[in-house]
Amino acid sequence: MGKKIKQIAIYGKGGIGKSTTTSNLTAALSEAGYKVMQFGCDPKSDSTNTLRGGTYIPTVLDTLREKTKVNAHEVVFQGFNGIYCVEAGGPAPGVGCAGRGIITAVQLFKQQNIFEELDLDIILYDVLGDVVCGGFAVPIREGIAQHVFTVSSSDFMSIYASNNLFKGISSYSRSGGALLGGVIANSINQPYSKEIVDDFVKRTNTQVVEYIPRSVTVTQSELQGKTVIEAAPESAQADVYRSLAKKIAAHTESKVPTPLEVSDLRVWAGQWGKHLLELEKQNGAAESLIKV
Amino acid sequence: MTKQPSMKSESISRARFGCAIGAMHTAVAIPGTVPIADCGPGCADKQYISLVFYNGFQGSGYGGGASLPCVNTTEKEVVFGGNDRLRELIQASTKVMKADLFVVTTGCISDIVGDDVASVVGDFQKKNVPVVYAETGGFRGNNFIGHEEVVKSIVDQYVGGYDGPKEQGLVNVWTELPYQNTFWRGDLIEIKRILEGIGLKVNILFGHGSGGVEEWKTVPKAQFNLVLHTWLGLSVAKHLQAKYGQPFLHVPVIPVGSIGTTSFLREVGTYAGADPKKVEAFIKDEESKYYKYIEEFSEFYCEYFFGVPSKFAVVTDSAYALAITKFAVNNLGLIPVKVIITEDPPEEHRDAIREQFHRIADDVSVEVEFIEDGFVIEEALRNSERRPAIIFGTTWDRDVAKDIKAGIVEVSFPASYEVVLSRSYVGYRGALSFIEKIFTVTISASA
Repeated sequence: MGKKIKQIAIYGKGGIGKSTTTSNLTAALSEAGYKVMQFGCDPKSDSTNTLRGGTYIPTVLDTLREKTKVNAHEVVFQGFNGIYCVEAGGPAPGVGCAGRGIITAVQLFKQQNIFEELDLDIILYDVLGDVVCGGFAVPIREGIAQHVFTVSSSDFMSIYASNNLFKGISSYSRSGGALLGGVIANSINQPYSKEIVDDFVKRTNTQVVEYIPRSVTVTQSELQGKTVIEAAPESAQADVYRSLAKKIAAHTESKVPTPLEVSDLRVWAGQWGKHLLELEKQNGAAESLIKV
Repeated sequence: MTKQPSMKSESISRARFGCAIGAMHTAVAIPGTVPIADCGPGCADKQYISLVFYNGFQGSGYGGGASLPCVNTTEKEVVFGGNDRLRELIQASTKVMKADLFVVTTGCISDIVGDDVASVVGDFQKKNVPVVYAETGGFRGNNFIGHEEVVKSIVDQYVGGYDGPKEQGLVNVWTELPYQNTFWRGDLIEIKRILEGIGLKVNILFGHGSGGVEEWKTVPKAQFNLVLHTWLGLSVAKHLQAKYGQPFLHVPVIPVGSIGTTSFLREVGTYAGADPKKVEAFIKDEESKYYKYIEEFSEFYCEYFFGVPSKFAVVTDSAYALAITKFAVNNLGLIPVKVIITEDPPEEHRDAIREQFHRIADDVSVEVEFIEDGFVIEEALRNSERRPAIIFGTTWDRDVAKDIKAGIVEVSFPASYEVVLSRSYVGYRGALSFIEKIFTVTISASA
């Protein structure tokens, strides 16, 4: 019997740093000696760009559009440190069904047993923002990923998207779907950001896997079309991703989260809003004191 | 009769209607018209096999059944959208098939994925290709709803605007749903015949009595619209009223037999301003023929009094149920013990339907039940407080009919043990065929 491949899905609101986090995580895992594949599940198809010097690769669906039968090897490309990169792709904006496209792309790989053939240790699915329809939930359904992590900042809309994801996970958990590994807290620079995310994970019965600070090193690396691991391996930010990679590689037990009802979530956000306003007032008072 | 609450189940077994895209047959029913089904192959085939084949074996006509062009949606069209494939199909269909009008009916996939059918069809329309489209995804409702969509699409996209004069005495008739109603072909011929009999010029619009798209082009010129149905066609008539300033007359009871047909003709004649002498002369002639047959039939009816049923149940759509119940009560003296309406009529029409059944005769009122699920229907028939001796229903009701030892006359979809050509059950002539059928079933029970 072959080894069990660890399959991980990374979700999060669009623009929150999901692909950045995933690519750096993938790079750090690869650096640690694991055979890794990053599978971008977003019609934008730019998940793996920083693993391949900022270049785009042909997507599964682009290839499927041209021919009826596709050999999965044709759409697997190697990037930094031999990482396998795949982009599911999607239809042109405004036509067709991108959700079904993701299902088609993932199924193609499953049917052709590519993961086993490449002897992978870990697969990371980088999935488009919110769980908008069944198609984007496919990596968390039975038989694909075992663990789900969500990238979230302390921004309310980002927390809202994570909570939605938790709802998806709890409903699929009844039929053997993936469970939640935890939250990767991104852009955490203010003390209150950490507190907000901590409070949210407590209420939803999960954990923060890593706190990732906002860093200019990330921007500099991405401008070179690289991950931090590749472009600035000595940086403190690279070590944060290495620490995350270590925890994810060691992670075994995921859980069913307890998502908040939308009304409860709004009340919760409202309370935090008030708290932040008070903080601002206090800071303002402190600033004016200094001025005097 | 005691009132039973409408029973709702979470499923529909033994369905008694098609889905909205079944209305591709609305196009098939217009001579010279070919539908183009924008759906998977299963959808098109299933609607044909059920609504057309195992329903009186009506035959696929010119553009239906195996000749029907279909997108045959595959995963490719789902993921990337089906616009290109539809464009290709319309192009090919107009090349290969001779038709006066093509009607694109969309299915669930196209409607969910959000294909821009309007612009694909619009490009052809700009080049004067006679093609229209209707959104008939199954989740929008059943084939009754789809039918109204198709009709409005043809009116809006093909017939178009009109502000010329109206033609006195020209009437558009909106009545039974083609193909769904097993006897629609014969019924529409009879309805046209009797209306022409009182001096009207009739746009019957569907079936062998229709002049096809040339007839449809005269729809805006009609003096008025006649909606001869409990509810189907009302939204069409209102649409035409707004579009062409045409008034409409709504007659919920499709007439069966002399009593109903005579009063129907007088009502329509008066509304249309037809010459009363002509109306009465036609009625007199028709009734004299009708009653000759009835007189001869009465010998059987009297001799066989011990074998003829007195109590009946009806399980069909609201319009045919009302027509049959009225006829069976007022012309044959039978007693309704259970009336089940199966076509899931829109909520806003249900009170009016109930009200019609409250007024079957001065002394006969029926509480109808609205049920779509075959199992619940079967239970309702089996547990009926008073056992019906005859059921006017469908093939699905044969098992329960056998169990409760009732005769069965298949009057509705699916009628899979009836071969129907031009037979009609409405008007003067249709009523005679209906009597033949009812009592053939009755007397055969002792064979």
